[in-house]
Amino acid sequence: MIRLAGVTKSFGSQRVLNALDLEIPSEEITVILGRSGSGKSVILKHIIGLMTPDSGKIYINDKDITRLNERELNEVRKQFGMLFQDAALFDSMTVGENVAFPLVEHTRLPKKEIQRIVEEKLRQVGLPGVAEKMPSELSGGMRKRAGLARAIALDPKIILFDEPITGLDPIMSDAIDDLIVNTQRQTRATCVVISHDIASTFKIAHNIAMLYEGQIIEFGSPEAIRNSSHPFIRQFIKREAPGWNAGP
Amino acid sequence: MAMMNFFEYAGRPFVGILEEFGRVMLLFLSAAVWAFRPPFRLRQVFKQMEAVGVNSLPVVLITAVSSGMVLALQSYYGFRMFGGESLVGATVALSMTREIGPVFTALMVTGRAGSAMAAEIGTMRVKEQIDALYAMSVNPVQFLVMPRVLAGMVTLPVLTVVSDFIGIVGGYFVGGQLLGINSGVFMARIYEMLDLNDIFNGLIKAVCFGLILSVVSCYKGFYTTGGAEGVGRAATQAVVISTVSIFISDFFLTAVMF
Amino acid sequence: MTKLTVEAKVGVFVVMGIVILGYMAMKVGKLSLMREKGYDVEVFFDSVSGLAPDVPVEIAGVEVGRVRDISLVDGMARVVLRIKPGVKIKKDAKAVIRTRGILGDKYITLGKGSPSAPDIKPGQRLWRTEPAMDLDALMGTLQDVAADIKSLSSSLTGVLGGAEGKATLKAIFNNFKEMVQTLNNTVQKNRDNIDVIVANLTDFSKTLKELGGVNVKDIQKIIENLSQASDRLGTVMEGMNRIVSRVNAGKGNIGRLLNEEEAIDNLNAALASLREISEKINQGQGTIGKLVNEEETAEKINTALTGINDYLQKQETFRTYVDYRGEYLFEHEWAKSYFTLRIQPKEDKYYLFQVVDDPAGKEKVTRIRREVDGQIVEEERVELEDELKFSAQIAKRYYNLGLRGGFFESTGGVAIDYYLLDDRLTFSLEAFDFDWEDNPHLKFIANFSPIHHIYLTAGYDDFINDEGQESFFLGAGIQFADEDIKTLITNVPIPTH
Repeated sequence: MIRLAGVTKSFGSQRVLNALDLEIPSEEITVILGRSGSGKSVILKHIIGLMTPDSGKIYINDKDITRLNERELNEVRKQFGMLFQDAALFDSMTVGENVAFPLVEHTRLPKKEIQRIVEEKLRQVGLPGVAEKMPSELSGGMRKRAGLARAIALDPKIILFDEPITGLDPIMSDAIDDLIVNTQRQTRATCVVISHDIASTFKIAHNIAMLYEGQIIEFGSPEAIRNSSHPFIRQFIKREAPGWNAGP
Repeated sequence: MAMMNFFEYAGRPFVGILEEFGRVMLLFLSAAVWAFRPPFRLRQVFKQMEAVGVNSLPVVLITAVSSGMVLALQSYYGFRMFGGESLVGATVALSMTREIGPVFTALMVTGRAGSAMAAEIGTMRVKEQIDALYAMSVNPVQFLVMPRVLAGMVTLPVLTVVSDFIGIVGGYFVGGQLLGINSGVFMARIYEMLDLNDIFNGLIKAVCFGLILSVVSCYKGFYTTGGAEGVGRAATQAVVISTVSIFISDFFLTAVMF
Repeated sequence: MTKLTVEAKVGVFVVMGIVILGYMAMKVGKLSLMREKGYDVEVFFDSVSGLAPDVPVEIAGVEVGRVRDISLVDGMARVVLRIKPGVKIKKDAKAVIRTRGILGDKYITLGKGSPSAPDIKPGQRLWRTEPAMDLDALMGTLQDVAADIKSLSSSLTGVLGGAEGKATLKAIFNNFKEMVQTLNNTVQKNRDNIDVIVANLTDFSKTLKELGGVNVKDIQKIIENLSQASDRLGTVMEGMNRIVSRVNAGKGNIGRLLNEEEAIDNLNAALASLREISEKINQGQGTIGKLVNEEETAEKINTALTGINDYLQKQETFRTYVDYRGEYLFEHEWAKSYFTLRIQPKEDKYYLFQVVDDPAGKEKVTRIRREVDGQIVEEERVELEDELKFSAQIAKRYYNLGLRGGFFESTGGVAIDYYLLDDRLTFSLEAFDFDWEDNPHLKFIANFSPIHHIYLTAGYDDFINDEGQESFFLGAGIQFADEDIKTLITNVPIPTH
């Protein structure tokens, strides 16, 4: 279980997260929805310990990770898999080496076993037989899949997705959405997805957290969000820019 | 108030340089600490030794042989005026081992490998690959910076030895073969004037230069901001700052050692 | 051709650097492994100031060799010249140290020697030398000369200069003047007498003239006599010649002695038999020869000595070694460590007991059961775990070759060792973990001990493995013998109250 309590974070004079509270249920897909640049990625980076809050606490399985030193934090991070926005595959390694990377780093499995797992994970994300290719030879969607394969290589309890479908065509977006849902179903992992895409969100989410001005203004099932009365949420769902409605 | 502003403006760049120097030192210290923590990442170290050392060999060789030859040619014209042609060999050997070998090698490696280091790490930074390393519980300083610094410190002296040798060979070729200085006297003068300490002090310099250029380049890459443009800026700055630092430190090292 | 691995490339690169550095250090450090071709000739000089090794040796301006070595022997400078093969130098050629250019590059020039003299043989000495035109010495002499001149002139100044000197000079001049005046007076007074003397002299020369004219014939006679005498001398010489030629022809006693061929033959025979004897000795004939040549004898003496040594050192041969080493396996990126106890009752035999800490020694299989899409799937996961392994071996050594057998890392195996450089370098090949299905575990190890107690180890582990377990490894070890341990223990400070 992941819980953020009163998390505040500022960059310079700009306060991005403002005493944010959020509880993410286990073994479900939670989508954090918000406008571009509203600090969604910042939340994700706090959860995995890449950023530390100015104030507030972040609990992973009831352990406050803001107080941990790097070694303890690394132990916690081993439960995580993260898919970065541009997949963040290492350019100098083949796709196979990329997927094998966490296994090589954190297990003592024999080479053959690692190879087997890599093949299995790549098959799981629908990319069989690309292990020998370099990341630069893959398309954007394929890179995302490979990144996901790397994220789930250690069978993590928690998988974080940073804008998984941004920059993909609608068909590929849909395929990735399916992949997220299937992966979650197979692994029973807790998934946190950052998105600003309404259609995708309603397709995959068990829960939706609505981020607005540094706070979660509403948390609930897709149904509850759809029926929300909050003006910003209504606007967001209807894809309306403020100016169009608020005109004279 | 206006006066205060003036001092503030004058002092700001200086404070900035000091701050940056401090951050470079911190990066170096953490790389040093990570060098002694398992896992030792020898594979990465070897990879970087190949990139910094083996792959820089051709350009270092060309630089060394031509500087040795030019040195022989130029000093020959000077020495001939008072019949001291036999000193050409010693001049070439001393300049190569003490100065030109280490400094030119460091400059060439900076241009070739230093910029690549900054660009590579910078790209990894802007493409979130460094974050990915953190997320996968791998310390990027240990994974990226430590192997490069170690490789720089190990390969620079090796390159310098090769450069010294090739430079002297170039000087020998020009002096002994083209300009007709007696090759026995040429070599005898070198053995007479050149001390083992000249070579070793040159190598100590090389180690320092290797350290400087790799730490500075890694630092510039590691703290890259601003996308692809930022990566380019980081690479350029890495080369400029490394080069200047090498020259400055060369002065102090020379003053201390010779 | 297969592509070089990164490790191999870097290895070659670093080794190249070390070789070049070694070469330069050796050259600059005035050491030389390689000798140039040719032969050595030695020359002794009083001083070789400024002469450096490897400067040229010339004959008539042509380089015929180099100075190979300069050393001090009995206060003289011994210079060894390495002369190019095929260059002949006369035995009486003169060696001179010359200087070229104003910076004073020294070199050696050899004279051509007399045509009739034999050529010098390798290793011989050139006796005729000329001291170096030492610029310092020359300057020194010049200075001495200058000093002498200065002191001379200063003493002259002392005598002649000053008021006193002036007075003396005046007195001298006055005396001189007086003397001349006196002489003048004397001549004036005796003028007549002098005239008479001169007239007498004239008369005398006239008489002499006349006398000469009368005796011309006599003089001719004297010359004739002389000529006859010399004729007689010719005859005497002829007689001498005859005697000498008779000697040459072997006539007379002396002649016989010098010319008799028989005598020379005798001498030759005597020499020949002498040579025969020495050859016989060399070939081991006769008692002395046997004693000198028989290897058996030498060996007997040796064994006798060794026996005594053995007896004396019986207590010493029993040795115990304690050894710890770590190996880093590149392929797996983990390290194995070995703790070894070696008991060596005899020089050529030892027992080895070893504990090995292998971080990937054991395969641990875990079964994970989980639900996927409503189905229960069972997965097997293989993880490698840390394990302690044991080795116990018996080893026997034959000269440079050692054989080992017993337990290797808790399996059966054999090994072969090859010792080099006084045992400082060893190559070993171990084979163990024999199995019906897999290839045996082969391991090649090279150990090198640059200094006592410490050694470096490198090799290739499990290289015919078919599961991708092969790996290069690199490591280091530390070894102590029992007496070292004794020393160590006794030297460790023990805290006292």
